Amino acid sequence: MNLFFNTDATSLSPIALFLQADWIVKIVMLGLLLASIWTWAIIIGFLMRLGKIRKGVQRFERDFWKAEDIDAFYRIEGENPLPTARVFAAGVKEWRRSTVGGTIDRDGTRERLATAMGAAVAGEIDELSDGLNVLATVGSVAPFVGLFGTVWGIMHSFTEIAAKQNSSLAAVGPGIAEALFATAIGLFAAIPAVIAYNRFSHGINRIEARLNRFADGFHATLSRQLEAEGKR
Amino acid sequence: MRRAEKIGLGVALAGHVLLFTLLSISFSRPIDPALYKPKPIEVSLAEDVALEAQAPKAVEPPAQSKAPDQGSPEDAAPPAPQPEPEPEPEKAPAPPKPQPKPEPPAKAPPKPEPAPAPKPKPAPVKAKPKPEKPPVKAAESKAEPKKAAAKPTPSKAEPKKAAAAPAKAETPPSKAKGTGSDAKSTLKRPRGSLLDDDFRKGLVQTPSPSKSVAPIAAKIDAKSLASIQQAIQRQIQPCADKQVIPGPGATDIVTVLNLRLNKDGTLSATPKMVRQSGTDDQNERYAQRVVDLGVAAFKGCSPLKLPPEYYSTPSGGWNNLNYIWKLGGSR
Repeated sequence: MNLFFNTDATSLSPIALFLQADWIVKIVMLGLLLASIWTWAIIIGFLMRLGKIRKGVQRFERDFWKAEDIDAFYRIEGENPLPTARVFAAGVKEWRRSTVGGTIDRDGTRERLATAMGAAVAGEIDELSDGLNVLATVGSVAPFVGLFGTVWGIMHSFTEIAAKQNSSLAAVGPGIAEALFATAIGLFAAIPAVIAYNRFSHGINRIEARLNRFADGFHATLSRQLEAEGKR
Repeated sequence: MRRAEKIGLGVALAGHVLLFTLLSISFSRPIDPALYKPKPIEVSLAEDVALEAQAPKAVEPPAQSKAPDQGSPEDAAPPAPQPEPEPEPEKAPAPPKPQPKPEPPAKAPPKPEPAPAPKPKPAPVKAKPKPEKPPVKAAESKAEPKKAAAKPTPSKAEPKKAAAAPAKAETPPSKAKGTGSDAKSTLKRPRGSLLDDDFRKGLVQTPSPSKSVAPIAAKIDAKSLASIQQAIQRQIQPCADKQVIPGPGATDIVTVLNLRLNKDGTLSATPKMVRQSGTDDQNERYAQRVVDLGVAAFKGCSPLKLPPEYYSTPSGGWNNLNYIWKLGGSR
């Protein structure tokens, strides 16, 4: 058994198909291959990040609701890069800024707290959904790019028929196979991108909802604290 | 770029390289395209294989090899005087013929009855003038009185027989030379044999073309035609093998050549191409060359030996034949 690369026209090897293609089709194929690599890089990165965030958020919330002293908890978790921790830190910072003076405007403080934490949530979600647009783009565009390569390759095959004065399948077949390979790569890149896009937008929505729920809960806690401060 | 993205990029890159390498590698020998190239096979359609008579037409049998047996009929038997049995006294001198009888004495004993017995028969009736012989044989004849008595009426005919019998008895000795009437004759007596001394007179030293004509078959059937094709193929094979194959793919060209042959198997005209198949882009430039090589092969091995009964039949023959010519010899 000997290993080697198939480079002849009769095999269905990607390298053979790539090498025999027209240069424009080659560019299309290379671009689609890069898109596929990028897509998978994003997918893998997302899987790792979202998993970590989900677990971290769960642990953080459990710890937060168990904590007796918010200031003490902030000292421990204030620099945590978790989205929930950042929302929490934004709330605590706003709280401290609002209560640093003598008089406390309760309604204004509540509003500012809500705004600050909402902004923190939006910022976190923005950051999380950074690669999603790439997935969406690849998922929708890659098939068209592949189709373009196919159309170009088939046009090339037809001009070859005209040049060779020979319309036998042996003369036309390889060119069409190469051309179709462009569409194949396009689909190869687009299908995982579309699946991943839908799956990750759903995951990010859930994280956003969870962050909002946490922010609301924290806001309620701070609001209660604000009332207690006002009575003093 | 975050750490997770770097890891993702590395993993994706490695995965793609691995996938495309696996798809591009094959674990066995590449498929030889020549293996799948259909080789032209020759199909001969034998549509006329019904039960039809293919036996040669009945021809007149060849003449017997017989040279004329010439010579004077010197030993012709003497005119038989028997038609006139009445002149008995004249007959009496005739009996001297019994002279030769002594010669076949050995033969005579077994047949005493045929020759001598008939004679007594006329004797008791008419040959009474013969005194000497009868008495002895009359005793014998008496032993057969029934015969004599039983055949009284045909007795007139008997004398003829009796005369014929001696004549017959006479011929064997007459073979011996010199017993004929022509004493000067030196010729052998004609014996009626087909192989006489004259037999070889027809043979001459210079070879003469045979006049014998092979019987023509009533019909040539597909089987015979196919066997003739094979015979031709076998006979031109030595010359076909000598032809240089002009290029790759030339052996795939199948040419139908029209042969015009003489009765002796020589070409009466240069073989002509009827049609050609098996040409494609690669070998079509050799098409005419293949035809020329086929003509050369036929000219080289030209006097073909083929069954003459199929030379020309009502349904065709090898005088005008389409031969499937293919370079490269053995099919």
